[in-house]
Amino acid sequence: MLDETLIRRTLTEALARGGDLAELFVERRSSTALRLDDSRVEDVASGREAGAGVRVISGERASYAYTNLLTEQGLSEAAQAARAGLSGAEGTVAADLRRSVGPTHPVKHAPEEVGAAAKAEALSRANEAARSQGAAVRQVSASYADVQQHILIASSDGRIAEDDRTRVRFAVQVVAARNGEIATGFEAPGHSGGFELLSVHDPADLGERAARKALRMLEARPSPAGEFPVVLAPGSGGVLIHEACGHGLEADTLVKDASVYANRNGERFGSESVTIVDDGSDQGAWGSFGVDDEGIPAQRTVLFDKGVLVGHMSDLLSAAKIGHPPTGNGRRQSYAHLPIVRMTNTYLLPGPDAPEGIFSSVERGVYAATFAGGEVNPATGNFVFGMAEAYMIENGEVTYPIKGANLIGNGPRVLEVIEAVGSDFDRKEGVCGKDGQAAPVTNGMPTVLLGKVTVGGTEA
Amino acid sequence: MSDLQKLAASLAGRAQSSEEVEAFVTHEKSFNVKVYSGEVESLSSAEPRGAGVRVVSGGRVGFAYTTDLGEQSLDQLVGQARDNAAHSTPDEAVALAPAWAQAPPEVTGLVDDAHARVSSDDKVSFALELERATRSLDPRIRAVEEAVYSDSDAEIGLATSTGISGLYRRTDAWCYSMAIATEGDDTEIGFEFDLARGIAALDAEAVGRAAAERALGVLGAAKIPSGRMPVVFEPYVAGQFLGVLGSALVGEAVQKGRSLLAGRLGEQIAAPGLTMVDDGRREGAPGAAPWDAEGVPTGRTEVISKGVLTSFLYDTTSARREGRGSTGNAARGSFKSAPHPSPSNLAIDSTGESRSEVLERAGRALLVEDFHGVHSGANPVTGDFSVGATGRLLEGGTPAQAVKEVTIAAPMLEILKGIEAVASDLRWLPFGGSYGGATTLVAEMTVAGS
Repeated sequence: MLDETLIRRTLTEALARGGDLAELFVERRSSTALRLDDSRVEDVASGREAGAGVRVISGERASYAYTNLLTEQGLSEAAQAARAGLSGAEGTVAADLRRSVGPTHPVKHAPEEVGAAAKAEALSRANEAARSQGAAVRQVSASYADVQQHILIASSDGRIAEDDRTRVRFAVQVVAARNGEIATGFEAPGHSGGFELLSVHDPADLGERAARKALRMLEARPSPAGEFPVVLAPGSGGVLIHEACGHGLEADTLVKDASVYANRNGERFGSESVTIVDDGSDQGAWGSFGVDDEGIPAQRTVLFDKGVLVGHMSDLLSAAKIGHPPTGNGRRQSYAHLPIVRMTNTYLLPGPDAPEGIFSSVERGVYAATFAGGEVNPATGNFVFGMAEAYMIENGEVTYPIKGANLIGNGPRVLEVIEAVGSDFDRKEGVCGKDGQAAPVTNGMPTVLLGKVTVGGTEA
Repeated sequence: MSDLQKLAASLAGRAQSSEEVEAFVTHEKSFNVKVYSGEVESLSSAEPRGAGVRVVSGGRVGFAYTTDLGEQSLDQLVGQARDNAAHSTPDEAVALAPAWAQAPPEVTGLVDDAHARVSSDDKVSFALELERATRSLDPRIRAVEEAVYSDSDAEIGLATSTGISGLYRRTDAWCYSMAIATEGDDTEIGFEFDLARGIAALDAEAVGRAAAERALGVLGAAKIPSGRMPVVFEPYVAGQFLGVLGSALVGEAVQKGRSLLAGRLGEQIAAPGLTMVDDGRREGAPGAAPWDAEGVPTGRTEVISKGVLTSFLYDTTSARREGRGSTGNAARGSFKSAPHPSPSNLAIDSTGESRSEVLERAGRALLVEDFHGVHSGANPVTGDFSVGATGRLLEGGTPAQAVKEVTIAAPMLEILKGIEAVASDLRWLPFGGSYGGATTLVAEMTVAGS
């Protein structure tokens, strides 16, 4: 990607006025995105980007500068900008650059070798399948996106790593309407891999499923408000773990004492059935990679072991402050961003309970089948999640769909009220936002019963 | 002609016969500093540039972008957009913006002339001062999780083979602070931000104090019993509500059945006293520009007039679909994306009362200081609106008990019809477009608590 002489020269330039560590991040990215709406392929887009960022760390301070010019002059200017404000003695760059290598995520059909025609055709198939589900299907939009990213990270302490990442995602959104009622359905699988995603998730099947969801939700009655037991569907319910537990265990919030989980290692938060991991090495998963954006190999980190808090996620800076090796969770949206601590694929692992039994134990409650997303405050652990697809449970049976429901509560307390953990498991892919940066993440969990939580709805 | 304008013109000039080409190019200088505990935590600077090109041919459109502005790369860029166009579905509504009869008048106040002369040291000092102001208000402010200053100085150029050629400059400066307050076992967060054309118009002291006050205000907060009651939106919260409603006002969403307002043109959809305006030229608003993201001169559109839905917002293609003109509402995130229709600066006109008059009129109500989970709980397609809220219970118009962990819900059309008063304390919120919120009284919503 860049020859070693130029890498070394850039790092040396960056440390010319002192600093503890200099790091170079180089990225080339190409992407295509197609979108079908109103039965027309309306957007066909592609892009090429190249850029490099230089980071100089001095004490607690990180200075960063980036450029789109991958030339000696462009890199030298970025190095000079990144060291601005320093006035110490010249730092040294390690004599040997040692390669670190992480897990690989195979690509069977490289997206750049698949023509745009095949991608457009997949969109049309999803559209036709969705529209064939009934006249109440009013609108379908489908999108396909692929990204190929090649990165190189080199640092003055002698580390060098490269990673090739290919990600593909396919999404279908359906709007259904009948008698003045409007409802939506959504499916959006993705993975780290190539165009073969569409063999695993057939576009027609995705279109049909999204349409059926929208049609079912047309029948929805207003959600009740109050405290209820809630059954979380496998997969989608994982966003709750991501928001309520994951963010508070990102070490940047821990070292700032801005997390409800700070200084509570070894404490019990949930039952023996609650084991939660973050696993950036899970082969082919949407949030996976080989090495993170600081060159640390992806790994599996246990956060809660049988209900007890045992781990956290870190990048280089927060790991150094905690005095722990970094966990490979330093991620950045692109060369234009500083790395920050992020989740990868976060899973509540399967437990001992039969999913059917979980439903039959509920007299009156809510079944949260799909969450629309959520938000959490790491300092307090308070969260809110909207439900895109939800049902009432009455006497152990799922009875009718409800709309306008959301779930509010507190992270640590939610682990406490997990009363059953199913033996099944599913994943859902998403994009997590933090500090203005987007990162692909996976949430996974089995069927889970929450004993009593606040459901917000329109019926008081 | 500046280098950037020449670059755009040279890209547009690559158009072949029977096609039209549009080039959108930007050159920005950006700066960001984040401080923590009295020290600089991170500092970032850059000068990114890039180009995005649309090729339209026979009703088909393709888009491509690049950060490589070398001659060879520019040829490839136009070629790539042309190839992409071949895979889109032909649509006779698709077109680039028509040539200007005359150049659109400039919008004043987009640039702070002093911006380029502000040193990095002064920006760092500002961020440190922001943190100090947040922390020093009260000993219960345990930490400031983030205190940030950012700015940008950008040149935006656009040229089309249909004859448009324009360039303008804008400067932006913004800051925010996030305070953490602790008392006993209770920890709360308070957020405040400000934005302006330059650092001189930002007030570190006021922003820091407001962030701290917001965190302190929620200490000791509790749920309140579920029920229906009047609700008052703080300006920041009212802006977020408009952000959700704004996507339902976009003509394209209406045409595609993706708006709760579809089929309601001419209907009374809001309280009779309510007027809502989108104004792409509004002075002092963050989204102001002389022309929109595809080169159409910006303008003023009354979308709700005395409670009646009077217009939607259009870009060129969605307007042609209805045989009308664009309202100048094309927007784009950056050169990396093709334009799409969006509100520019959307706000409800004040009903004339002051904030204190609105609070007094509310009597016993929930004053909402923050929404939680807006992007998941509010749906501009179905009109469902159910979000988490923190704030205060108003008793006789005076803020009393602090409230948290409740949700508030009502169909969005019911909220619009229930708006009884909008105060004159407008502030702008950047939220995809820019939205002006003011203290707003809504007659009744469902509050779910204990």
